Amino acid sequence: MIPVMLVRPRLRGNRHTLVLQALSEALVSVAGLVGRPVRAQDGTPVGRLTDVVVRADAIHPRVAGFHVRIGDRSCWLHIEDVAGVEQGHIELAQSRFDLVDVQRRPGEIMLVADVIDHQLVDVSGVRVVRASDLYLAKTLGVWQLVGVDVSWGSFLRRALLGSASRTPTPAQVLDWAGVHSLAVSEGSFRLNRTQEGLRLLNPGELADLLDDLGRSERLELLQHLDLESAADTLEVLDDEDAVALLRDGTPERAAAILSHMELDEAVDALRDLESEERERILASMEPASLGRLRALLLYDEDTAAGIMTSDLIKIGADATVEAAVAELTAARDRPDQVASVVVMDGDRAIAEISAAQLLGVPPEQPVSQLINSGLVTIAAQASMGEVIEAIADHRGTGLLVVDDAGTPIGRILADDVVDVLAREHERRWPWQSELGA
Amino acid sequence: MTQTDAPVTKKRRIGPLVALAAVVGPGLIAGLSDDDPAGITTYSVLGASYGYRLLWVLLVSTVALILFQDLGARIGVVTGQGLAGLIRQRYGARAGMMSISALLVANIGTTAAEFAGIAAGGEIFGIPRWISVPCGAIVVSVLVLRGGFRGVERVLLALSAIFLAYIGAGLLSKPDWGAAFQGLVTPTLPPTRDALLLSTATLGTTLAPWGLAFIQSYAVDKKINPQQLRLLRIDVISGAILTGVVGFFVVVSCAATLNRNGIPIDDASSAARALEPLAGHLAAQLFAIGLVGAALLAASILPLSTAYSVCDVAGRPAALDDSIREAPLFYGTFGAVTVIGAGLVLIPGVPLVPILVGTQVINAVLLLPLLFYMSGIAQSRTLMGEYAVGKLTASAYWIVIALVIVSIGTLAVLSFT
Repeated sequence: MIPVMLVRPRLRGNRHTLVLQALSEALVSVAGLVGRPVRAQDGTPVGRLTDVVVRADAIHPRVAGFHVRIGDRSCWLHIEDVAGVEQGHIELAQSRFDLVDVQRRPGEIMLVADVIDHQLVDVSGVRVVRASDLYLAKTLGVWQLVGVDVSWGSFLRRALLGSASRTPTPAQVLDWAGVHSLAVSEGSFRLNRTQEGLRLLNPGELADLLDDLGRSERLELLQHLDLESAADTLEVLDDEDAVALLRDGTPERAAAILSHMELDEAVDALRDLESEERERILASMEPASLGRLRALLLYDEDTAAGIMTSDLIKIGADATVEAAVAELTAARDRPDQVASVVVMDGDRAIAEISAAQLLGVPPEQPVSQLINSGLVTIAAQASMGEVIEAIADHRGTGLLVVDDAGTPIGRILADDVVDVLAREHERRWPWQSELGA
Repeated sequence: MTQTDAPVTKKRRIGPLVALAAVVGPGLIAGLSDDDPAGITTYSVLGASYGYRLLWVLLVSTVALILFQDLGARIGVVTGQGLAGLIRQRYGARAGMMSISALLVANIGTTAAEFAGIAAGGEIFGIPRWISVPCGAIVVSVLVLRGGFRGVERVLLALSAIFLAYIGAGLLSKPDWGAAFQGLVTPTLPPTRDALLLSTATLGTTLAPWGLAFIQSYAVDKKINPQQLRLLRIDVISGAILTGVVGFFVVVSCAATLNRNGIPIDDASSAARALEPLAGHLAAQLFAIGLVGAALLAASILPLSTAYSVCDVAGRPAALDDSIREAPLFYGTFGAVTVIGAGLVLIPGVPLVPILVGTQVINAVLLLPLLFYMSGIAQSRTLMGEYAVGKLTASAYWIVIALVIVSIGTLAVLSFT
């Protein structure tokens, strides 16, 4: 297997040229193979190559076969019937092979039709690129797709020289292992290969990638993400962009992603959908998250209640620290990052105790003994201005939202306020925005 | 902390107008930016030379504009990719390269034309070009680079209100409405090379290649969903009609004054000057304001649209929120188009007229393959899925393409004989 081949012009002069030359000789350019003759062993041309097909089941996909044009018929040539692949031509192993019509099978990628000149995700570089050329190499007797060329040079070579350009010009080559192909096609097959690389990207990086991709490619990438990362990514995106993505997929997938999002973010996205689409998505949701989302949807989005999450842990004043810790532990994997418990007296909140305050306290101690400061709350109908003022005055990480009777109904976290401020900022005129904003 | 007794209200319902506002922009801005100085010049000459007689050409151009702007927006919405990148993906490296090279050269030339318009408009108000052009370039760049996409969009929409100035100028010139209507609906073409040249130029300046590339990137950037296509179509059609209406008033004001008095003109600023004694000081000033506003609008779009297209083909990052280090090609192209475009106008002794004419020629030549590619993409099930166009719509595209071929072909024959 060829190691990571990120060739940068770090090597200077002669050595650089030599490395490139050696590399160039070891590689076969896929774009350069198109239109080349397929020859029988005695050298007589049988047909012309039109596409290279790989099986997408390994880090470096194996070549499965070729599409060959014989007369006006497009035929399938299995790799086993091929004796040699060279840049100039392909040689058949036997003097004859069965003429089978081309058929698209699941798990296969047509390199010329699906990948070259299409968008790809460069997972290691976290960017969207276009493939200028693809390179095959024979390792341990097997032809594999090893690299993708994203350089201007190769693009120019193909654009200017056309079919005369057969020599690989590996200047900026990415290892195929670090590339995520979004080969969507008429057959619309799914890649079985799990993409470890995608998991290493943070939600912000995934959001940037989604932003740069075309629509079908964007959907494909979102399909390849697990629900957790998809939900986190949607939280990072603008409301409009998140809604656009939810609209594009199936309602079931949208429902699944939404139920992995923080409640307030999910509600935000749902608000921007038209009522018909919203109902379709809500219909495929589990009852538990459905009830909470519906309750939150009732509030006006410009009020405190409109940006809160309703995921609260409430405990009685006589509860022990042990019970509080148990509740917090149980909530650890929920999307809303609950980090405090609300101490209740009947229906009214009397205090909030953070997870940090519970550390090192004997488990049997009642939580009421930990209450040391007054509780800051905000009314459900409070405006955004009041919310921001309250957070700024209080200097905390969040605010408890209470209804008219003083019953806590949710919590606003600082990140929700940041979202509000960011949105306000975007609504300004250009000359009001600051550098780097 | 506030305590009010008002019941918690439900989320306000999204009315149809609010939903429309969410997609407004691409059609309106891309359409009106076709009424740039080059366009206004063509319309002025059309009116001054042939009166109301060739108004029907404008009507045909507007219909063609509706068809292809709608198609561009549609392709953008459905594929989520820019035109140049899609051409590379669908038609290969060579087609992509040729499109982007021609687009780059044509857009630089067109940018120069916009700055020439700013210079000419400024001179009517007594501002020398070495002040108006650099100021214009700086204002436009700062606006686009610092404002971000949504900020720019509002400024552009506000700027497009300036086009109402032409309608004002048209009304002030007291045109003969009966003759105007007749010219609009009866297709007659004086059998001269000049009339054909003007008709082709009108079609070519209304249906500009960069406008098509721009509306597609715009629709991509605005993240409009296929479900909103119907609303987007309202925006596109009203934008194209408004473009046609502005053109109509320019032709009409020149026909009512310059043509009736037999004053020939060769560009839009001389039209504005010539209007003054005939239609009054206000009409002339409105004309000049429209010229500068249109030039600013197009000059803010062109470098941005070119930069998007170049990066799209190359597969390099292109976003206004990236830094220069992250997206060197994007900012490099943006800077090059702006600096060369503005610079050409400032260099003393540069033959501006041949550059502008050459630009129009490249635009016309580029238009044909672009229309071909767009129709091909529109019919591709692989790219457009359920939104691929049927045979009927496709034949409408082919009629426009045939029209362009005939005009350019006849013109070429006439030019060489």
